[in-house]
Amino acid sequence: MGSFVLVVRLVLADVRRHRAQAAMLLLAVTVATATMALGLSLRGVSEALYEQTRAATAGPDVVALSGDTGPAVTSALASLADDPEVIAHHGPYRIVYADLTTHGSGRSPAVASGVVVHGFAETPGTVNRPLVTSGGWVRPGGAVVERGFAEALGIGVGDRVTIAGRSYLVVGIAVTAATSIYPWAAQIGPYGGPSDSSGLVWLTRSDARTLAGRDLPVTTAMDLKLRDPAAAEAFVEAFSDAHRDPAARVNLHTWQFMATQDTVILRNSQPILVVGSWLLGFLAVTGVAALAAGRAVEQTRRAGLLKAVGATPGLIATVLVTEYLALALVGDAVGLAIARLTVPGIASPTASRIGDAAGPGGATVAAATVLAVTVAVLSTLRPALRAMRTATVTALAAAAHQPRHRPLLTALSALLPTPLLLGLRLTARRPGRAVLQACSTATTVIATVALLTVYSQKERGYGLNGSSVLPNLRGELDRRLMLAVTILLIALAVVNTVTLTWTTAMEARANMAVARTLGATPGQIAAGLSAAQVLPALLGAMAGVPLGIGVCGLFSARNTIMPPVSWMLAAALVTLLVTAAFTALPARLAARRPVARALSAEAA
Amino acid sequence: MNGSDAVPNPVAGPVAGPVAEIRGLVKEHGQGQGRVRAVDDVDLEVPRGQTLAVMGPSGCGKSTLLHLLGGLERPTRGEVWLAGRRVDTLSERALARLRRRSVGFVFQAFHLMEELTAAENVELPVLLAGRSPREARRRASLLLERVGLAARARHLPSRLSGGQRQRVAIARALANEPPIVLADEPTGNLDTAATLDVLRIFEDLRTAGQTLVIVTHDERVAATADRLVSMRDGMFVDDTRLTGSSSRGLGGLIEWES
Repeated sequence: MGSFVLVVRLVLADVRRHRAQAAMLLLAVTVATATMALGLSLRGVSEALYEQTRAATAGPDVVALSGDTGPAVTSALASLADDPEVIAHHGPYRIVYADLTTHGSGRSPAVASGVVVHGFAETPGTVNRPLVTSGGWVRPGGAVVERGFAEALGIGVGDRVTIAGRSYLVVGIAVTAATSIYPWAAQIGPYGGPSDSSGLVWLTRSDARTLAGRDLPVTTAMDLKLRDPAAAEAFVEAFSDAHRDPAARVNLHTWQFMATQDTVILRNSQPILVVGSWLLGFLAVTGVAALAAGRAVEQTRRAGLLKAVGATPGLIATVLVTEYLALALVGDAVGLAIARLTVPGIASPTASRIGDAAGPGGATVAAATVLAVTVAVLSTLRPALRAMRTATVTALAAAAHQPRHRPLLTALSALLPTPLLLGLRLTARRPGRAVLQACSTATTVIATVALLTVYSQKERGYGLNGSSVLPNLRGELDRRLMLAVTILLIALAVVNTVTLTWTTAMEARANMAVARTLGATPGQIAAGLSAAQVLPALLGAMAGVPLGIGVCGLFSARNTIMPPVSWMLAAALVTLLVTAAFTALPARLAARRPVARALSAEAA
Repeated sequence: MNGSDAVPNPVAGPVAGPVAEIRGLVKEHGQGQGRVRAVDDVDLEVPRGQTLAVMGPSGCGKSTLLHLLGGLERPTRGEVWLAGRRVDTLSERALARLRRRSVGFVFQAFHLMEELTAAENVELPVLLAGRSPREARRRASLLLERVGLAARARHLPSRLSGGQRQRVAIARALANEPPIVLADEPTGNLDTAATLDVLRIFEDLRTAGQTLVIVTHDERVAATADRLVSMRDGMFVDDTRLTGSSSRGLGGLIEWES
């Protein structure tokens, strides 16, 4: 108990002394775990929402669709309804494919879209009972608009819409599990042709019949409830084998198929978030490792002090690791909470489903926690081991790690102007830190290339003929997520750059003070410190472009349009300039520290 | 020390009158009740070619005086003139340029760059002054030979003894032929033999006409100077000319230590 209290007190004291560093670790871990938890939480979320909607709307187990309307089709559908495995059915009912136009208002302009009209009874049956979320059910001259479609159109109960030239009053808003989410009401599926962007509207049977008489495409559908819903796939296979009549082609869609179709809208979101979380996790390790390296001397001295007063190596390691681990776990908890709050906003880009998106599950919590612990352990393992192994007297007199002599770089730097001479020599002093800076920059460029790739895709809008008057929800979600991940990556990379510059400046403060006594100006010192970060960043930016192309290639479809090379090179250049800009302030502050004080501190 | 002919005489230059001069110099540290006056209204002239020793107890303001002379700190009041220019009003940039050409520093803790060899340490100020790498190598080679370390030019400081490190630091201080060298406790970290080595170099520099200001605790070092200023509580309490004694002093010291 005594040891526990001691560890807690030492950890708290250290956190209080280094609040900014603690905050940075917390921020880095929070961002990384939140993104990972969010990405992993999307797995299965569409299916969960579909299940909840299906339960609330008596969703069918199988929907039978036929492109024809003749007696052969009627006969085939009737035989389906009579199948012993079918315990209830709804239909056959008419489906009409038309155009819909809203009337617009001051707030929302008039828009046109493809529409799929289902002709339903005024009193819903036992199967496929759409859940009215606003207003009432269909009545003559009154249309019920599917909720996702209504939200995209910006209409509500009381508005009027025109379908195939005839005006209808919107009397209700509803959801159903019998079709895919907006904009895939046509049931052709998201991989279909240009007509796959359409919404769903219910009319009365007589209104649908009238509409069908206007020479519009019409199909017939029937919803089935099976004795064993889990065996829907087997039922479909058995039916397809038994009915191969070319005159009465009937396609059967199982509820599992529709649930899978729902996931298409999030198809790109998960890789964006999960790969993004890897990159964020990497930057978190980079930043925290830079911090830990910057504190190595102080931590070794602290370990020496603890040993001198009787602490065991085990206790010292516990104190060092506990501090980072505790902060990482707090960051993990905050990240998971953020993911829990954010999942609903991302999981359901359309309003076509009801229910709650479940937050991070056990596996997700475990994965995010492993990430947080990995960040903490990777960042502190080396300093902890060094503090444990260093002899007490040596630790008490700990000096900064002796940099290696690099004759080639030293000779090369002699040919360069003073800022580059100092910068290259600073880089050579701590090559590990230069690698971290290069990796941090490469990660930023990779994310920027991915962002440019996402924004380079030609997105068909959901309006008529691909008009973007109704935006492409999937594309918009991808862009928003990619932008958010990129902003987070850039923010962490900026923090890393500032940290790396500052720790470099602090470690080299004696050398820089000596350089000042030898005639280097503060401007040359500041430029040298900046150059020490910008030189490895240059390599990172150069590597980031091909790596970004490679990462995009791994997770993109074959027909993905890559952004022009000039854009990617411009992104690398801008990253480099931004890196230089963010090194300027810490470098300038460090360069203006009093020379005499730095030399006296070093001599002490 | 030998072979100094190849290096131009450091006193050769356009400086007329005293190389360094301070007038009514005051330096205060801290604020409010914690304010401490490290240097208290002192005046000093250091003529060309003079070796000036500044002695006094710890905390009397010796090192601060040296830092003020070299433009590493700014005075609270008073004037500092170096190589004919008033330096206390110069910008940091202009001060840095002045240091490049006009001041060489030697520190008690050597302050060599640990990742650079002895030669590379000496080359650095030459490169900072904008001269070519070839010229920097040439000067480093000559100066290391002058301080007796030609054979150790490629050694890292960690492989040199304390005395050797200080000799490298002296070579570095002379790299740009400054009119004045400021040495802060140059023998403070050295044993007797290494102290003698350093004193021999200083004696050679004095003979060659190099202006030297040496802050020291060590009376043996002070005895080798042309002039001795004693400080206490930030003020000069004594200013003694040791005319004609320095060579004998060093010679006597060497004989005595031997």
